[in-house]
Amino acid sequence: MADPNQYLRLQLGETSYLLPSASGFTIEQREHLVINKSPDGPVAAWQSLRSQRLPAYCLDGRLQITRHDDWHRAVFLDATPHAVGLVVNEVQLVPRSETVVSPFTPLGLAPTRRGHLFSGAWVAGNRIVLVFDPKAFVAYLQSLGDA
Amino acid sequence: MKKSRTGPRLHSLEVPLDGITLLVPSAAVAEVINLQDMAPVPFSQPWLHGAIGWRTLAVPVISFEALLGTPVRAAPASGKLVIFYPLGGRKDWEFFAMFATGEPRPQVLDGSQPVAEGSELPDSPYIAAGLKVDGRLMLIPDLEALKKAFYP
Repeated sequence: MADPNQYLRLQLGETSYLLPSASGFTIEQREHLVINKSPDGPVAAWQSLRSQRLPAYCLDGRLQITRHDDWHRAVFLDATPHAVGLVVNEVQLVPRSETVVSPFTPLGLAPTRRGHLFSGAWVAGNRIVLVFDPKAFVAYLQSLGDA
Repeated sequence: MKKSRTGPRLHSLEVPLDGITLLVPSAAVAEVINLQDMAPVPFSQPWLHGAIGWRTLAVPVISFEALLGTPVRAAPASGKLVIFYPLGGRKDWEFFAMFATGEPRPQVLDGSQPVAEGSELPDSPYIAAGLKVDGRLMLIPDLEALKKAFYP
């Protein structure tokens, strides 16, 4: 079970993001997933469960769909009606005591029906790591389709 | 042109942008800093260029030129970031920053500066008015319109 006092640091391309671990997640090794061998479609891999398969997407640093083979794990975020995943170059649990997250909301219209993708930022000097709003990020992943 | 008159002195900052100059109340500006690395904010509006770390906050950086719909060029090395206090009624951490092409300069207005004709102003909801200061057109942003764009 996820420790609510942690963040998950996700490396997507050259960019790191934080996800509050209280949102619930599981990490799966690549070898436990079914890789999408077709170069087409947004899904990089699936996690097969008894009655369904859960998609995992491959995103670049700008959160656009991409496809590459340089990943070893996928993070599946708890969601309704089913979990949704993304493959990551690197994933790390960061204790909240090691981060100072300030509130941050992007300006302008929100890109998802659940609002803006980010709700905070970890600022260390001039370096910023944006913190996902879990509900909005899940909504974004779910909007990517499963074809 | 409207009749000039003098009145209370208003301390303002002249903020040079690409092809236009803004005039903003000095009290609205928290700090002017050098350009620095920005974190991109995926899926943001075209006028939101990213966020910078300032003090302990992440501050969104806008291009006013992009809000006006004019083409945006790369900021010159001498450019600055003007950090504004949160707009009225917003939370106390909601600072925002704007690209400027150079160092803002103080201007003291006393009401004697002629008001620009509407035909001299860009056709944009984000411009409230214009003043002629020493013969130069300076545009006054409509902060209420900005607030509606920022926080729809």
